[in-house]
Amino acid sequence: MTRHPLAWCGWATAALATAFIERNPFLQVLLLLIVINVFIAFRRGHRVHNWKIGLALAVVPIIFSVALSRFGTHVLFTLPAIPIIGGAWTLDAAVFGASTGAALLLTVAIFAVVQTTVRSADLVAALPRPFYRAGTTVALALAFAPKTVASLQSIREARQLRGQRAGWRSAPQLLLPLLLTTLERALQYGESLDARGFGSRRRSRYRPLPWTIADLAVIGTAVMALAGIVLTPAQTYNPYLGLTPSAPTVNSLLAILLLATPAISASLSRMDHATHHA
Amino acid sequence: MPLITLEGVSYRYPEAERPALVEVSAAVEPGQVILLRGASGSGKSTLLRCLNGLVPHSTGGEFRGRVMACGLDTRTHAPRELGAHIGFVFQHPDAQFVLEDVEAELAFGMENLGLSGPLMRKRVEEVIDQVGINHLRRRGIDTLSGGERQRVAIAAALAVHPQALVLDEPTSQLDPQAAEDVLQVVMRLVAELGMTTVIAEHRVERIAPFVDRIWTLEAGVLKDQSPRTALAEGGARPPVVDLALRAGWTPIPLGLRDARVHAQGLPKPPPYPPPQAAEWNFHIGDFRGATPAVCRVENLEYRYNGVPAVRALSLSLRRGQVTALMGRNGSGKTTLLKLIAGLLTPQRGTARADVRAAYVPQDADALLFAATVEDELRGQTPEVAAPFRAWLRRYPRDLSSGERQQLAIAVVAAEAQLLLLDEPTRGLDPLVKKALSAFLRARAADGAAIVIATHDVEWAARTADRVLLMAEGEIYADGPPGSVLSDSLVFATQISKLVGGGWLLPDEVPV
Repeated sequence: MTRHPLAWCGWATAALATAFIERNPFLQVLLLLIVINVFIAFRRGHRVHNWKIGLALAVVPIIFSVALSRFGTHVLFTLPAIPIIGGAWTLDAAVFGASTGAALLLTVAIFAVVQTTVRSADLVAALPRPFYRAGTTVALALAFAPKTVASLQSIREARQLRGQRAGWRSAPQLLLPLLLTTLERALQYGESLDARGFGSRRRSRYRPLPWTIADLAVIGTAVMALAGIVLTPAQTYNPYLGLTPSAPTVNSLLAILLLATPAISASLSRMDHATHHA
Repeated sequence: MPLITLEGVSYRYPEAERPALVEVSAAVEPGQVILLRGASGSGKSTLLRCLNGLVPHSTGGEFRGRVMACGLDTRTHAPRELGAHIGFVFQHPDAQFVLEDVEAELAFGMENLGLSGPLMRKRVEEVIDQVGINHLRRRGIDTLSGGERQRVAIAAALAVHPQALVLDEPTSQLDPQAAEDVLQVVMRLVAELGMTTVIAEHRVERIAPFVDRIWTLEAGVLKDQSPRTALAEGGARPPVVDLALRAGWTPIPLGLRDARVHAQGLPKPPPYPPPQAAEWNFHIGDFRGATPAVCRVENLEYRYNGVPAVRALSLSLRRGQVTALMGRNGSGKTTLLKLIAGLLTPQRGTARADVRAAYVPQDADALLFAATVEDELRGQTPEVAAPFRAWLRRYPRDLSSGERQQLAIAVVAAEAQLLLLDEPTRGLDPLVKKALSAFLRARAADGAAIVIATHDVEWAARTADRVLLMAEGEIYADGPPGSVLSDSLVFATQISKLVGGGWLLPDEVPV
C-alpha cells in the first residue's frame, strides 16, 4: 500500500495537472473514474463529507453558462426578452459549463483523496530538514482551517441568539469576531508549542516512514503521467466550435491510466494478504 | 532542596494598570502536591505561566524577582528549554494540540528533545498505560471529547519525563464525569509516581484530601498555607469543611471519609417526603404551583439523524421558578433548551412559550465580540447596563470568565421572561457562582421563569426550587431539590452523602 506522503503529493500534482489541462470529455470521465477508484481503495472508513460541494461545483457552471451565454448554434429553446436570461438557450453553452464543472469536480475529488491519505504531520516529517519549520507552520495553518470554520459557525449562532441577522449582508460583521478568535487561538498555539519545547534543539522523528516499492511505483508513474500530459499537446475541446469531441490520443490515454497505480498497488497488496491468509 | 522557588516575583502585563502578581515568594519541594486557589482574574494562570517561563517570555510585560525551576532561572532560560523539565497542561482542551492524532501528539515533546526512536516508542507505550488511554491511541485528536483530550494532554506532558507537572484548571471546561476522569489520572500520578504537581482547580472538594500545601491568590498576593489553615480561613472549600467549622470539629476533615466519624454526633435528619407524596402534587413534567405557567411543552420529540435526543416529553414551566435540569452528557438537556427557545424546530409535539425566551449557550465567549463593554450593551435599557458601569471602557474578552458570563446573560437575556441557561457555572469560581445564583433568584422573584441545564449539584441545590432529572431524552424525576437530590447516588450533595435525609447544604444542618 502507498503510505508515503511525498508519493501522494506526486500523484496529486500529476492528477491536478491533468484535470486542468485536459478538457476532452472522454478523458475527464476516465480520470474521474480513476480518482474515485483510488479514493475507495484508501478511504479507510472515511465518509465523504464534501461530495455536495463537489456536486454543486459541477452543476453551478452548467447553470451559469447555459443561462448567461448566448453563443452556440444548437438552440434548446428561446425565452422572451427578459433582462439577462432572455434569448436563445443553447446546448453548446450547457456542454461548455459541464466541461468546466467536470474540471472543478475533479479538483475537489483529488483533494479529497489527498485529505484522506496524507496526514499533515507525516508530510511535515517527510520534508527535508531546511523546510522543517516552514512545514510545521503550514501544518499548523492546515490544522487551523477546520477550527476556523467551526468558530465561524458558533459566531453565526451567537448572532442569531442576540437577534441579529445571519444573512450574507452580515458577513463584514462576522469577519472581525472571526479574526479575533483565530488570533486568540494562534496565541494559545504558540504558547503550547513553546511550553512543549518546540525548536529548542535538533528534532528526532517518531516512526519515520520508509519508502516502499509501492510508494516508488506511485511516484514514478506520476512523473511519467505528468510528462505525458505536459509534453503531448493538450486535447483542447471547445463545444462552441464542435460539439462532438475528438477521439483521445494514445499518449494522453496512457498517461491518465498511469494515475491508477495507487489503486492497483492497493489491490495487489490486498491479494497478497489474501494468499498469505490462505 | 526545593524543585521550584519563587523569590519576590512581581509581574505586570504590558499596558496593564495594576500588577498581576505582587511580591510572590513560595517553594515547591519534590513530591509535593500544591493546590492553587483564587477567584477568576486573581492571577492563577499568570503565576502558573511563570513556572515555565511563558511569563514573561511569551507575554512581555514587566517582570521582577526570580523563578528557579529545576535549577534553571526562567529569566535566562526560554520556555522551550524548560519544557523538558516542567510538563504544562492548559485550560482549554483544544488549544494545546499541534498534530492530528494521539500517538504523534504523545511523541511531539520527545521529538523536540531529539530522543532516539526506540526510547520514544518505549515511553509512548508507558504513558499510554500510565494514563489509561490505550483505546485512544489511533484516534484523531478532533474526534476526542474534552475529557479525553485533557488526558491525552497529560500523557503528552508526562512523556518527556518532566520533574514537575503544572496544570492550569484542567477540568474547568469539562462536564463532571470527564472532570472526574481527568482528576483521577492526576491523583494516580501523584500516588504512584510521587509526581510533583502544581494544580489550579475549582473542584476543591475532590482534591483537598490529597494536597500538601494550598496557595491562595488574592489580587496577585499569594498566601502559602497548610490545607487545614487555608480551608478554615475561607475561599473555595468543600461543604464538609463549612459544616466542620460550624460544628467545631477538630481537626477539620478534608474529605467525606474523615468527616464520617464526626457526623455520628449529628442529630438525625428529618425524613424528606418522597417525590410521590401528595403534598407536592407530583406529576412528572407538571410541577403545580400558585404562579401561572409561561411555557408548555407537549409530547415533544427531536432526533438528530434518526437518533432520538428528546422523546415524548411534556413539561410546564412557571413564573418565579428556578428549575435545574440535570443528567449525564447526551441525555438531551441542551436539545430540550434549544427546542424551548425556538432555535430548533420540534419534529413532533409543541413547545409554546407565552413570553420571550432567551437562550445562553455554554460558551458565553461566543456572544461577545464588540470592542468595548459599552458597545456590547448598546440598545439595552439603563437598568440592564447599570451593573456594568465600572467596566464600560474595557474589552469584553479581557474580562474574567465570571464577568463575561454575567455580561453575556445581560446582553442576551435582559428583557426575557423565560431564561434558558446551558451550564452557566462551568469554569466559574465559588464567589461568582454565588453572585450568579443571587442574580437568578432575583430575576425569578421578578417573575421570570428560569431553566438551568447544569451538572453542578451543590450550586443547583442552592439555587433551584425544582429539579428535573433527564436520561435518554426523557424526564425521569421531577420535584423540589430536597427530595430529588437527597434520594440519589449520583446527584447528591456532599452534605446529603454525609448525613442523608433532606439536608443538602451545610447551613441546613442544625449543630
